[in-house]
Amino acid sequence: MPGTDPRRDRFPGYDVTAKRDTPSWNAKTRAVVDERLAIDPEAHRFFDTTEWRTLRALCDRIVPQPADRPGRVSLAAMVDAKAGSGKGDGYRNVKLPPLGAAWRRALAALEAEANARHGHPFSALPATAQDELIEAMRRGDLHDLAWGDMPPDLFFQDRVVPDVVKSYYAHPTAWSEIGFGGPASPRGYVRLGPDRQDPWEAHEDHGDGHARPANERIGR
Amino acid sequence: MSRVRRHADNPAHALPGDDPEHEPRARHGRAPDVMRLGGWTPMREHGEDEPVDFVIVGTGAGGGTLAAKLAEYGFSVVAMDAGPYWRPLEDFASDEMHQSKLYWTDDRIVDGENPLQLGANNSGKSVGGSTVHFAMVSLRFRPEWFKSRTLLGYGTDWPVDWREMWRYYDEVERVLAISGPLTYPWGPKRPRYPYRAHELNAAARVLARGAEAMGIAWTESPIATLSAPRGLAPPCVYRGFCTSGCSTNAKQSVLNTWLVRALAAGAEIRDLAMVGQVETGADGRATGVRYHREGRWRFQRARNVVVAGYAIETPRLLLNSASARHPDGLANSSGLVGRYLTVQANQAVWGTSAEEIRSYKAPPSLAISEHWNYEDHGKDYHGGWCYMAQGPLPTLWSSTLATGHDLWGDALVAEMQNYNHSVGLKNVGEYMPQARNGVTLADETDQYGLPIARVTYSWCDNDRAQNAHARAFMGEALAAADVRDIWEQTNDTCHLNGTCRMGDDPCTSVVDADCRSWDVDNLWVCDGSVFPTVGGVNPSLTIQAIACRTADRIRDMAARGELDRRARPPARERAR
Amino acid sequence: MPGATAMIAAGLGAGLAGWWLAARRRPARREPGTHRAARRLNEASALLGLSVMADSGLEHFRGEYHNRAMFAAPSVSGIQIGASALGAVSDPARWSTPHHAVQVASAATGVSGLAFHLWNVLRRPGGLSWQNLFYGAPVGAPFALTLAGTVGAAAEHVRGADPHHTRLLGRPAGPALAAGAAFGLGGTVAEAWLLHLRGAFHNPLMWLPVTVPPVTAALLARAAFVGRGRMPVTRRMLEATAALGFAGSAFHAFGVARNMGGWRNWSQNIQSGPPLPAPPSFTGMALAGLAALEMMEARNARD
Repeated sequence: MPGTDPRRDRFPGYDVTAKRDTPSWNAKTRAVVDERLAIDPEAHRFFDTTEWRTLRALCDRIVPQPADRPGRVSLAAMVDAKAGSGKGDGYRNVKLPPLGAAWRRALAALEAEANARHGHPFSALPATAQDELIEAMRRGDLHDLAWGDMPPDLFFQDRVVPDVVKSYYAHPTAWSEIGFGGPASPRGYVRLGPDRQDPWEAHEDHGDGHARPANERIGR
Repeated sequence: MSRVRRHADNPAHALPGDDPEHEPRARHGRAPDVMRLGGWTPMREHGEDEPVDFVIVGTGAGGGTLAAKLAEYGFSVVAMDAGPYWRPLEDFASDEMHQSKLYWTDDRIVDGENPLQLGANNSGKSVGGSTVHFAMVSLRFRPEWFKSRTLLGYGTDWPVDWREMWRYYDEVERVLAISGPLTYPWGPKRPRYPYRAHELNAAARVLARGAEAMGIAWTESPIATLSAPRGLAPPCVYRGFCTSGCSTNAKQSVLNTWLVRALAAGAEIRDLAMVGQVETGADGRATGVRYHREGRWRFQRARNVVVAGYAIETPRLLLNSASARHPDGLANSSGLVGRYLTVQANQAVWGTSAEEIRSYKAPPSLAISEHWNYEDHGKDYHGGWCYMAQGPLPTLWSSTLATGHDLWGDALVAEMQNYNHSVGLKNVGEYMPQARNGVTLADETDQYGLPIARVTYSWCDNDRAQNAHARAFMGEALAAADVRDIWEQTNDTCHLNGTCRMGDDPCTSVVDADCRSWDVDNLWVCDGSVFPTVGGVNPSLTIQAIACRTADRIRDMAARGELDRRARPPARERAR
Repeated sequence: MPGATAMIAAGLGAGLAGWWLAARRRPARREPGTHRAARRLNEASALLGLSVMADSGLEHFRGEYHNRAMFAAPSVSGIQIGASALGAVSDPARWSTPHHAVQVASAATGVSGLAFHLWNVLRRPGGLSWQNLFYGAPVGAPFALTLAGTVGAAAEHVRGADPHHTRLLGRPAGPALAAGAAFGLGGTVAEAWLLHLRGAFHNPLMWLPVTVPPVTAALLARAAFVGRGRMPVTRRMLEATAALGFAGSAFHAFGVARNMGGWRNWSQNIQSGPPLPAPPSFTGMALAGLAALEMMEARNARD
């Protein structure tokens, strides 16, 4: 339901970046993740102001983030950087324009759909209205001329998912949220069996109060 | 982070001027020593005007293996790769997104009824090829598959005998020190795997429980990562980033096995070298390759050219090498270059376990059942399939949930929090070769000005029937292992084969059993492109076995003086 | 390769320490030979206990002590070490009922551990398979605690016995102990073989503990049944086996260094590398064998 965070605090006190200076992270990993953490959330070079506003609103609905949580993922800026780099994923459906052009067209089309249906820009719509438009895009059920010959559902599958969803789950904040062990080299893992974990892995909350202190010990 | 500690660590990575993605490392008489931080190893170099015995395009499972073997047999070899020459210990981060630098991410167009996902899914751009990021599952073909038309009634027979292949499998398994079970439940007898199987992780134990409940055999997957030290390589630490590149060298890739041998035997490896054309002389024979390196186009003369770029880049290069003498592309008198692209099924079932699975730990596919590769009854389709345990890392898992399970927004965020309880089974299945599936040239060009590949794929009814059976069976097996909320992922495929198939007849194949092209007798193709059929197992072991066989055949032909000219003209020319 | 040199040096050093422990002769004091044998047996059982305590402590930590029973092995072996050490230094030595009770309880704990471990293996998918023998609870490991307790209990019997007619379980003590030690050595070899098979014998030195101790065990068994006079070859082999036990720990330390990150990544590699405390159980069994041999040689000299 929009407005309430769907997350549970399933790994209380777990912060994967606390392992940054342990044997779990090698130098290359530190450099790569530091760079990601330093992305300016307002940085946009590829998209213009209108596109940027729409993109931010879209990202906020594709992967909602709690407003008050530290370590906010600069999702729209990651999309902007990828679109600007021109570096794709190694394949492009014949029905899609190149990465940057596809994004520009889709953002303009979403804006047009919002204006046509609600008389407001996409970014000014309430979350429920935004979600309806996004779901219609995912089902391929949007038909504004601004889409051109680009199928909205294909755009969702081949651009929104790799560029927005995967970017979010490439961020340490997301790793902590889902209890992922995160970077692991040179130190990997010892305990591989079901319900087994190493001291340097996230501990899941089972309501017995053990998880938080164990998670807060990690990396110290 | 107030206390900055420095331990258990690689030294600072960024050396000035050392940017393997933009500046070649293998030059000035040395190549990277992949086993040591900042290390170098001597490398023999060859002049561009001096024709080498073999120039090999691509250094993956086919080309890298062949480079090592041919150099050891005394041939002069230059092997080129479009990708960088990594030192895994210092260049590889534990990060899915950053490690996409291992994949072929130059544009390719996909179409057809079931357009393929390429890039991370199946295409590498590194010295060592896709083996730098492969999942290491090293399986042998079922013997009957080499004669599937004759013995099983579908596909096309291979022009090689399974018993000969069995010996080459032995060789590759030794070279890669495959870790596998002491006894293998399916197929004819094979030697003991050099290293013992790894401990099963929780995801693999789910497969085992399910298989036992279904009454079928399962075993530990034979995989190319060490379960004990080997030389400078440590055993696997179960970090789970296998398909993002192994930063410890426990993975036995072409990069840290065959290519180390190739360099020691005098082969030259040229990284960041993109080959644009195989050039031919007035007599139609190959004279060398035109390639782009260090900012300009160059030409390397060669007595023989081997194309080993995998099933998309290999036909692309041959088609891009069209000339007046070869107007439809090189080696393409049959019209089959680029045709019969055959991928493999990668159908999955996923669900949630009450236990914590945490499948991010250890190699993803530690347990396997090949039951449906060896069992022909109970199927309403041709071909076999195996299935394995899985271990998707977070970004892959999020896109699986988003595209395969239609989740986004709050629902996606909530389901992603079940990550540590999620578990699944995925198959590798034998799709049927179809002439309509393949690689052609698109109108667009890449950063080198070369026309890019257009990859067309559609399933046939047989493929769909197999998918349905596999999903249904795996779903039952998962449920039998007490996994709940099971759903099916139908949108994935894996591996690339076909497009330059081998055969006995120049009219119906591109190369002969020795991987030598029918049309140009000093042009060879050595990678997954030569597969006439794909079987229901991961192809890397078979590609390497074929490369070993090709090297032995080349050695024997050279000894008989048959290398410069084919001993017998192709059947069609004989008929003229 | 500097690593190999260091390995050989460390192995030799540790081996020499084991050899010294086994080969040293006590200054001839006027004490019954049984006392000396009992002391040797206490040393052997203490060393076995130490190996068990460290090994089970580490392995059960790896198993997260998820079952309370897993605390039994390290804590019982701790008490057992105490009883053995007290026995070794008690002077004048005499039968101690509490010590004997501790040793018998330790042996019993080992037996129940065997049952627990076997249950752990059998309930895994695959049942009694190589996978589960390699990576499930090690079936043979608790046997070392049984050996420690048995050797310790034997020490009490020997200590309290008539020096001229020492008997164990109704048999002359020397041969009975020798047979027991040969059997124990065989079990220890089986455990090492299984784990070295898991490591694919990737280093040729891994063949040592499955070649030298079996010869020793065979010689000791032969001594138990047909031994006559002095048996210098058997003695030397027992000393070599004792040395090998300590050298093994040094080799295992090198093995830990060969894992990714080496000793800097100790929090992983101590657990996943070769077990440091396991090999000295060979030393412990060899010391017990030496005690038996000395008793037999003394008896043969009297006859």
